[in-house]
Amino acid sequence: VVDEDDLAGHLDDLEFALLASDVELSVAERIIDRVEATLLGETRRRLSSTGDLARDALREALYDTLDVGDLDFIEAIEAGDDPAVVVFTGVNGVGKTTTIAKLVRYLDRAGYSSVVANGDTFRAGANEQLIEHAEALDVECIHHEQGSDPAAVIYDAVEYADAHDVDVVLGDTAGRLHTSDDLMAQLEKIDRVVEPDLTLFVDEAVAGQDAVNRAREFDDAAAIDGTVLTKADADAQGGAAISIAQVTGRPILFLGTGQGYDDLEAFDPEAMADDLVGE
Amino acid sequence: MVLDDLGESLRGTLDSLRGKSRIDEEDVDEVVTEIQRSLLQADVDVGLVQDLSEAIRSRSLDEEPPAGTSARDHVLRIVYEELVDLVGDSMELPLEERTIVLAGLQGSGKTTTAAKMAWWFSTKGLRPAVIQTDTFRPGAYDQAEQMAERAEVDFYGDPDGDDPVQIARDGLEATADAEVQIVDTAGRHALEDDLIEELEAIDRAVDPDDTILVLDAAIGQAASDQAEEFDRAVADGVDGVTITKLDGTAKGGGALAAVDQTDAEIAFLGTGEGVKDVERFEPSGFVSRLLGM
Ligand SMILES: Nc1nc2c(ncn2[C@@H]2O[C@H](COP(=O)(O)OP(=O)(O)OP(=O)(O)O)[C@@H](O)[C@H]2O)c(=O)[nH]1
Ligand SMILES: Nc1nc2c(ncn2[C@@H]2O[C@H](COP(=O)(O)OP(=O)(O)OP(=O)(O)O)[C@@H](O)[C@H]2O)c(=O)[nH]1
Ligand SMILES: [K+]
Ligand SMILES: [Mg+2]
Ligand SMILES: [Mg+2]
Repeated sequence: VVDEDDLAGHLDDLEFALLASDVELSVAERIIDRVEATLLGETRRRLSSTGDLARDALREALYDTLDVGDLDFIEAIEAGDDPAVVVFTGVNGVGKTTTIAKLVRYLDRAGYSSVVANGDTFRAGANEQLIEHAEALDVECIHHEQGSDPAAVIYDAVEYADAHDVDVVLGDTAGRLHTSDDLMAQLEKIDRVVEPDLTLFVDEAVAGQDAVNRAREFDDAAAIDGTVLTKADADAQGGAAISIAQVTGRPILFLGTGQGYDDLEAFDPEAMADDLVGE
Repeated sequence: MVLDDLGESLRGTLDSLRGKSRIDEEDVDEVVTEIQRSLLQADVDVGLVQDLSEAIRSRSLDEEPPAGTSARDHVLRIVYEELVDLVGDSMELPLEERTIVLAGLQGSGKTTTAAKMAWWFSTKGLRPAVIQTDTFRPGAYDQAEQMAERAEVDFYGDPDGDDPVQIARDGLEATADAEVQIVDTAGRHALEDDLIEELEAIDRAVDPDDTILVLDAAIGQAASDQAEEFDRAVADGVDGVTITKLDGTAKGGGALAAVDQTDAEIAFLGTGEGVKDVERFEPSGFVSRLLGM
């Protein structure tokens, strides 16, 4: 049987490693509790040390946390309305607009046409940014003037897609912090009026403990179907992925791995779990 | 004292020391564990948290509380002193002619901060200008121009340019009348060698009085390595740190690692998307926030 004192030491080390990887504290504690429950009472297999057993159990717990809510982006697009509407949400500067540009390219390669809609009618330079991406990618960009109703922009894009037989509408929203009641209410309204087929939450791999708070608040305002984790190229440990998956119960779909249009990878829960336990 | 109004759990732990005049190892461990939790939840670097815990633990046990001081107040004072020491002073910004370069990770808030700082200097009676050298991000020129307009400050950029170093040179010349010239740069991270080299070149061309690293309050444990690389890239090292997006719930603890790595001081705090949503850094309020007050 696993020695409880010996195990406690290993679990402390593992919890610390999770925190050092940016897994949020309460999420890390929950995962370590689970590892402990799995191991207590377990008969120690010959030749395997408690440390190895604990690491294996942790890898399993991390994998289970990440491997949630079966969702394939292209299947969801297929199953959605015609056109399928995807709305992107998240706090300021995480990479929503850039991710939309990358997904235009991704959809095009998969044989789907798209139109982008600039629901960010707030930030300086937001129209110019999305228009420039759309020009580079040769798709239409629907936009209104600064200060106008974001839901109306996305609605217009749906009409455009209808009229021009475009498969997918990618709707951008302004970055906002979850502490802004007005802006979160606006997001709820966009969700209610637009009724997107998919709401993708965008957050960044360099995010720390706050990932839990914002995932929870954004999920409350406009239910999250999946997450895109950007800036995975910045050498962060990416524990935010664990925090977000735990809070939303929804999968991470893609990793952003750079600023170019091709810098988008399918998320691999197994590779991430291995990375986090230091394989 | 600032720490009178501590976070709930930390206060609970310290309250158990109320009335005690001597403190034993078990008491200290309990307090240290709570402080560790608060700091880790604030994204303070795990290595720093360990060092800090050790310092608090040994000082609490070794140092004799001054006469008439309860064990609780003694520990409080030690925690406060250690944290204030780590956070450091607010960066000095003499109100005279200066050139400032802003650098940082993608999306951390540089362009917004450039306009905010310009606005701040203008309220101090100085004439500022923003120079946008980001030729990479779509819409960067328009964003900076519009933000400068909102801040009512001079602006230089070249929407057709593709050499940030040349734009920086031209911008310094074109805005020579301005007393404070703030050079915005494209976002980059530590592993992008070509972009780090580009920053080195901009820094050489501008030869700024201050280089300020702009950090998102929500950045996690990556802050330390990132800060180290930026500090290495610029000739005189990073002088200051500005923490953005403090209007959210993130505590900004990543800035401690940045300050520790670069010997910089914190200059400004960003508290919103508007040009006026900026404050000068003030250590004690920031320490309170770190501890979850
Ligand atoms: N290194 C790296 N940079 C990225 C990635 N994704 C986005 N960026 C950069 O991050 C910055 C912010 O990206 P945006 O797409 O404007 O972010 P946003 O969420 O739309 O920002 P707001 O609309 O202001 O809230 C830009 O400089 C992007 O080039 C990524 O995967 N890796
Ligand atoms: N709520 C809030 N948002 C902020 C603050 N500072 C910047 N932002 C927002 O964060 C996002 C990114 O800000 P930018 O100024 O574009 O960041 P940047 O570092 O210049 O980005 P790149 O040039 O792409 O690297 C924008 O949506 C800003 O409006 C702040 O203090 N509070
Ligand atoms: K320095
Ligand atoms: Mg955007
Ligand atoms: Mg910028």
